[in-house]
Amino acid sequence: MEFRWEPEYLAFRDEIEVFIHEWRTPELLKEQREREGAGGGPILTRYYEALQEKGWMRMCWPPELGGQGLNPTYRFIMVETMEYWQMPYGNLTYTSVAPALAVHGNEEQKKRFLPGIWNGDFTFAIGYSEPNAGTDLAALRTRAEKVEGGWIVQGQKIWTSLAEQSTHIWLAVRTDTEGPKHAGISLMIVETKTEGITIRPLPTLSGFVTYETFYDNVFIPDENLIGPLNGGWNIIMHALNHERVGLSPTGNLARNYDLLVDHLKNKAPEKLADPVVRNRLAEMRMELQRHRALAIRNAVTIAKDDVSPGQASMAKISGSELRYRMTNMAMDLLGRTGSLTAEAGELAASEGRQQGNWRSSPILRFGGGTNEVQRSIIAARHLGMSR
Amino acid sequence: MELDLTETQELLRDTLRGFLEAEVPFSQVRECEIEKKTDTRLWAQLAEQGYLGLPFPSEMAGGDGGLVEAGLLVEEVSRRAALVPIVEVMAASLTLKRKCSGATQLLESVLSGSAIVVPAVLEANDSFESFALEADAEGVLRGEKFFVDYAEAASHHLVVARDAKGPALYLVDSAAPAVKCEPIETMGRTPQSRVRYDGAAGTRAGGADAVDYLIQIARALTCAQILACMDSSLEQTVAYTNVREQFGRPLATFQAVQHHGANMGMHCESSRFLTYEALDCLERGDATEEQVAIAKASLSRAIPDVVMTGHQLHGGQGYIEENDLYFFTIRGKDRALAWGTAEECLEIVARSAEEKSRWL
Ligand SMILES: Cc1cc2nc3c(=O)[nH]c(=O)nc-3n(C[C@H](O)[C@H](O)[C@H](O)COP(=O)(O)OP(=O)(O)OC[C@H]3O[C@@H](n4cnc5c(N)ncnc54)[C@H](O)[C@@H]3O)c2cc1C
Repeated sequence: MEFRWEPEYLAFRDEIEVFIHEWRTPELLKEQREREGAGGGPILTRYYEALQEKGWMRMCWPPELGGQGLNPTYRFIMVETMEYWQMPYGNLTYTSVAPALAVHGNEEQKKRFLPGIWNGDFTFAIGYSEPNAGTDLAALRTRAEKVEGGWIVQGQKIWTSLAEQSTHIWLAVRTDTEGPKHAGISLMIVETKTEGITIRPLPTLSGFVTYETFYDNVFIPDENLIGPLNGGWNIIMHALNHERVGLSPTGNLARNYDLLVDHLKNKAPEKLADPVVRNRLAEMRMELQRHRALAIRNAVTIAKDDVSPGQASMAKISGSELRYRMTNMAMDLLGRTGSLTAEAGELAASEGRQQGNWRSSPILRFGGGTNEVQRSIIAARHLGMSR
Repeated sequence: MELDLTETQELLRDTLRGFLEAEVPFSQVRECEIEKKTDTRLWAQLAEQGYLGLPFPSEMAGGDGGLVEAGLLVEEVSRRAALVPIVEVMAASLTLKRKCSGATQLLESVLSGSAIVVPAVLEANDSFESFALEADAEGVLRGEKFFVDYAEAASHHLVVARDAKGPALYLVDSAAPAVKCEPIETMGRTPQSRVRYDGAAGTRAGGADAVDYLIQIARALTCAQILACMDSSLEQTVAYTNVREQFGRPLATFQAVQHHGANMGMHCESSRFLTYEALDCLERGDATEEQVAIAKASLSRAIPDVVMTGHQLHGGQGYIEENDLYFFTIRGKDRALAWGTAEECLEIVARSAEEKSRWL
């Protein structure tokens, strides 16, 4: 046992921080806020180019997929550091679509899509969820019928985030209605501007706008089927193992804490001196270390190429639930200031981050595999409780 | 970051576990509880097998290990709920070895099992911050200590006393007539005493930094004790819910039951990390007081949640003393109160509230 980071990881963190401080300008942050993670925008485009040049986005990919095959701990260090500084380091196109294409796409498809993804010309929305297929994703019903040269798609998706801003949709469709429901799903790529696709915005609690997408006789050519027909479920479930590190980072929670203390120091020193307030802060520090323990535990297991679904679930639950508890406590300590949004300018505490993160905390708990299911995974696969 | 035990540590843990399971049946623990006595038979065996020397250098016939090995020893002994002063002796003797001088002979006797040294720290005010018991220029102690674990079984007390230089550690022969132990009964059912030192002769062993070291390592080793209680309670609960059937199916198949189990499991997992991180960092000399306090606060908060959930899932079966579950319930909560409660530890953490948080 040795509870300390090896020097190469600390050096890597320092290197990232130097890079971050070079790029973290008010202009970049503004563009990021306005585009809500959609990528694009002149500064972000240049920023992503610089990230690519560093090779950090694919550093842990296996060499046969064009990566450097580095230990997943490097990715963990990068994600945590970027999260602490709230800097972008990729989105679902990079972490979900690109690896799936690299593994399951044929040579022609890789040539057609990957370069565009890496240079930012192609961005993808993920079309998995449907009104009646959420946690039980395999229940999806959007139908693709075979026709000459391709497929005709009929149906509806919901929560197709970034659909409006993306060039393509990574679409899960039903290609077989007989047999087990997960064995009749296929994955296809469709251009967002294809005739028959309509997009309707759904503003959310956090301020983020997601979309419903409707498919009315949408034609998808044969060459856009990814992987085998009816083999979509494997692709959906497959993720590069190393991407599972840092899924529930400590960095952004720690940042929330530090910003809260900065605010109290500058704007409400009498609160910071109050023993009751300090006790609450101590509690947050303790909770943060509990979560850090689970996040590191999971990352270290993955770095050893072990798979421990229980540990990944623990980190996921703990990070998502702590985000709610910490921001909630922070808002209580801030009083009415806690409710001010970024628009309140100077008055708001850390640009309204606590209330913003509080509002976005539900998605982290029910999304990405709802916490109820995660707890059952821990029970069955980590503890050995009967199903 | 290496979070797994080394092969040697793993072997040590397995050997210890096998040895203790064979040598300490829970019936023996129940007997000690009823007679309110220390398990001297087990203590002699631990000494004889060389386990007490684990964190000491080989020149002393020790095992060349450190606090992590001491933690493993504490954890395994505590999984048997054994009534032996393992945390007390480890903390006192490691402090003597590392922060004091002149106790070589006593330490040899401790490792061979012929002497037992335990700390005597708290007083009526139950505080780690201020001590009234005084030592005069000749090293004569006057005053009273409370909550002295295994005071009667010990041959020596390592007493925190105030002298001209501030708080200091004094070694006292507890057989001396000026030392009077009066047993106190606690929920944890471990031997404890209130001890009067009416002019007892003491030898100054170390100053304020030694007092501080003693508290830090005892606090971290107590985490290992609590961790053992947590893990044992969880393991027993998983096993029980897998076989106990209601409504025609094992309890474990109910989702609500699984979720209780998962919550217990998460506490165990983070507690294990925090405990061994504190021990490992203390061993290397780079643990902060805050870090150790966070570990102790976290485990002290978690243990009642874990054991009470264990009881919830056992129903009446876990409520009777024929069942082994209660050992971990009462010992776990009792130790949550020892060497700094969650509240006391959070107060320490609160002092660093302005410091940047640690996220890697
Ligand atoms: C802002 C936002 C963005 C999103 N972006 C995308 C995207 O880009 N692409 C995409 O495909 N999807 C996206 N999603 C969908 C997201 O993945 C789903 O919301 C998630 O899978 C949960 O499905 P659901 O909302 O239908 O909830 P439901 O499946 O209806 O579940 C609701 C609740 O019921 C309980 N529950 C459900 N099943 C069980 C069970 N087996 N055991 C116990 N309790 C259970 C849980 O408490 C769960 O949280 C997004 C969602 C939101 C809100």
